[in-house]
Amino acid sequence: MRRARGRALPGAVAALCRALPPRARPAPDTLRRARFDRPQASSHCWRLLCSLLKQVHGGKWTEPDAIDIQIRFIKSVLWYHGYGRPELYRLPSDGSAGSRELLLAFSWLLHRISLLEQLLARNRVRTGDETSVCTCEDDLTNSQKGRTEIAPEYSLEDKVDVRYLQWLHGRLRFQWRSLHALHQEQSKLLHKIHLFTSGSHMDKILGHFSVTETELIRQPENYKQLLQFLESETMQLEAFLEWKQLEQVYWHWMETVLDDMAEEGSMCKSQDAHTMKSMLPKGDSCCHWAGSLVGKIDRLSRDLMTVHDQLQELVTHRKSAWYEKVKTREEELQKEEFCAAARKTQEAVELKLLDLTYHCAPKKPKMHGSCRLVFRSKHSASKTGFGRSVSKEPISTVSATEVIRELQMRKASLERELKQLQEECRQRMDEIAEGLDGVICISP
Amino acid sequence: MLPAGCGGRLAAALAAALGDGAERRRELERQAARGRALLGRWDAEDEERQKSDSSSSNGQESRPSPKELEELELLSRALAKALKVRKSIQKTSVEAQGVREGEKAANEGPAPKNAQVQQVPVSSEGVPVTTKVKAVSRKPTSSKKPSSYLLTAPYRTDPDVKKAHRKAPARCMSQAPRTAGKSSSKAVASKQARRHRLTISASNQEVCAAAESQKTDGLSKCGLLEQQSVSLGDSAGGKNLVAAGRQLFDTGKEGCGSLGGSSKKEDHTTEDALGRNSSPQADTLQEKGSRLKFPLPYRKAYSRNSRAWENCRLCQSSADAAAARNRFIERIQTTFCSPMPAFSPAEIEEEVKVLQNVPSLLSQCVEAEHADHPTLQREYESLLTLEGLQTIASQCLHKLQLLREDDGAEHTLSKFADDTKLGGAADAPEGLCCRSEGPRQAGEMGRQESHEVQQREVQSPTPGEE
Repeated sequence: MRRARGRALPGAVAALCRALPPRARPAPDTLRRARFDRPQASSHCWRLLCSLLKQVHGGKWTEPDAIDIQIRFIKSVLWYHGYGRPELYRLPSDGSAGSRELLLAFSWLLHRISLLEQLLARNRVRTGDETSVCTCEDDLTNSQKGRTEIAPEYSLEDKVDVRYLQWLHGRLRFQWRSLHALHQEQSKLLHKIHLFTSGSHMDKILGHFSVTETELIRQPENYKQLLQFLESETMQLEAFLEWKQLEQVYWHWMETVLDDMAEEGSMCKSQDAHTMKSMLPKGDSCCHWAGSLVGKIDRLSRDLMTVHDQLQELVTHRKSAWYEKVKTREEELQKEEFCAAARKTQEAVELKLLDLTYHCAPKKPKMHGSCRLVFRSKHSASKTGFGRSVSKEPISTVSATEVIRELQMRKASLERELKQLQEECRQRMDEIAEGLDGVICISP
Repeated sequence: MLPAGCGGRLAAALAAALGDGAERRRELERQAARGRALLGRWDAEDEERQKSDSSSSNGQESRPSPKELEELELLSRALAKALKVRKSIQKTSVEAQGVREGEKAANEGPAPKNAQVQQVPVSSEGVPVTTKVKAVSRKPTSSKKPSSYLLTAPYRTDPDVKKAHRKAPARCMSQAPRTAGKSSSKAVASKQARRHRLTISASNQEVCAAAESQKTDGLSKCGLLEQQSVSLGDSAGGKNLVAAGRQLFDTGKEGCGSLGGSSKKEDHTTEDALGRNSSPQADTLQEKGSRLKFPLPYRKAYSRNSRAWENCRLCQSSADAAAARNRFIERIQTTFCSPMPAFSPAEIEEEVKVLQNVPSLLSQCVEAEHADHPTLQREYESLLTLEGLQTIASQCLHKLQLLREDDGAEHTLSKFADDTKLGGAADAPEGLCCRSEGPRQAGEMGRQESHEVQQREVQSPTPGEE
């Protein structure tokens, strides 16, 4: 058994390495050296993990940073995902040691965040017309955060005229209008192209060509690189399938690593999470993230509290009215038919609320990132109905109507938030204005 | 005037947004340009592309090998023979195809042929086929020295000759020099080169577009010749032509074979073209969009790729592998710091994201229930709904509280009920008064928490500002 495993192990490790994206593909030897905690494999392992995690976290591939920045990044990401081995957080920042710890962390990530699957999905060759449907603001705030951090360097001494800001704001609104017009034009063009090429695609579910594909047909010589990417991705997928066949061997192997470490007695006594957090790199990103999350939670609790109080008031009011009504009609309510009706009402309400809770609970993974735009005409048999539907794979699709509804909900909630903030500002202005005697405020 | 700190930040944020917007606009304009190019005339685009190609790539060509010249000569001799035979065939064999051809065929046929042929000996340039053909067909006035090859003489036809006569030979001839031209073309025209060049499809397109105004892009000489040989097959004298045509077809097919799908498509479009005598076929996506097909190498790669994706989607770990993996994960998690928080930061963020929508959803539902309720039943329903909403709100608040506590150093046991189930929303009327206690408690706790957190929030921005 052991010998069979021994034979299969190089295959498993090789398949695993081949299934990783080309830019972050280790040699199987690196993993083998890491298993024995060789220091020379450490820097490779750090770099590998850094590159993989950057891809998963949606960052564009940039020039690799210095090793200590990479190490800080890796540690914060592992903490973010809930990795709790203190030995990893104690590793030195020069990248000279820790290959075995990194191997363990890598294997843990393989399972925990489905690292391979995520990488394959994120790096998928996109031949369709891509659009994004999620309204996640996180990426946006991250990038903005970066910019506002470096911005204070300029005009730190000068005061800023509010009219300048108003002008910038006006420019921004104008820009939005022109972007909107461009978007509309782009939609019309896409609609035409999709319509004209309906029925041609070899994949009948897609049904029509995208812009890239049409260009490919027209001028194939321009798209040789696309072909290469496609082929390399296919090889990666086949390696992934091979890995899936052999992964048992790999997990056994990882258990032997843990066995070795148990023997060496390197399992330190349990420390509490507090001290572990203190070992975390105190980078800006962690503080900002934590601060912003706490802020989000607070805002959310405030909103929920408002709704909750509102509901409470309403419920008590209605209940008293109900009991008033009930008192006068007690005999009527004892009748059988009313009880039956009441039961039916309860069921109906349960259903309604179930639908609501479905929206409140974490549901199936929402479509994040970019998806392929697919045109479905009114007459097709799909459930998505008229208009375009957005689909990544044949299975997980979302229709345009759903997206529109979600966006409308988001818009409504943002408008509510805006009104709330404006109300708060107005109140503050009132307070300030009260303090100023004999002053007349003229709006611009 | 605003103070420097926040004013600067606001200005920076606005400027950043403007920058993003400008970038987005550039991207959109680029995409729109691509789309417009696709919707316009395809041959017009290619023409411009060819022009720029020919003007730019003049210095890179090599001499044709002697072998190629030899081949060319053989080929041209065969074609000359076929042409002589063809000339003797009556118009009946061509009328079926004749109508659409129009003047352009006649005019462009001879002229480009000459120029084409004349270009043959100008062998210092290794212009790619497409370029050459294009330059030929669009610039018949380009000055080239007259060729010593035989191709010139037989192909110059008298414009006064009957249209029917001219068309077939015109087509045949137009094919021949192009073939000849192709085979002689410096770096490209050899059979081997043709096989390796994807540009063949494009060049084929050019050939046919030049010869017949109504031909669509997809026509290749192979398809055309096949068509021709088929149509001429019945005439007695056409045997040689058919043979020549077939030979060309074969050589062409070898070249096109590796580019595969185009010939099929092209045959199809040839038939289409022949079928439609009256309507002019514009070279736009609108006309041919539904008949397009991927080039063969791409099609193969694409189908392999989608099969692989499908397999990956369906594949699952075997039970043993899953067991081994879980064992490893459990063991490694025992080595984690012992009171691990119930929620990892990633999970907290995920939960918060999910809960973001809750206040607005609840508000919407509450607004819906504000309406008047005529019947007793309706009012009862409304009351139950509101109570249910209240429960949901309190559950979410409770969850938030847990998340906040977890984020701190304390580790609390998270024992909240499965929140997909609704806690007693649809109780019997008697139970209504009892349940109101629960939510109030949660509400108070929530309020207390918010005070503490507000204090914490005041402190936290300072590290960021340093």
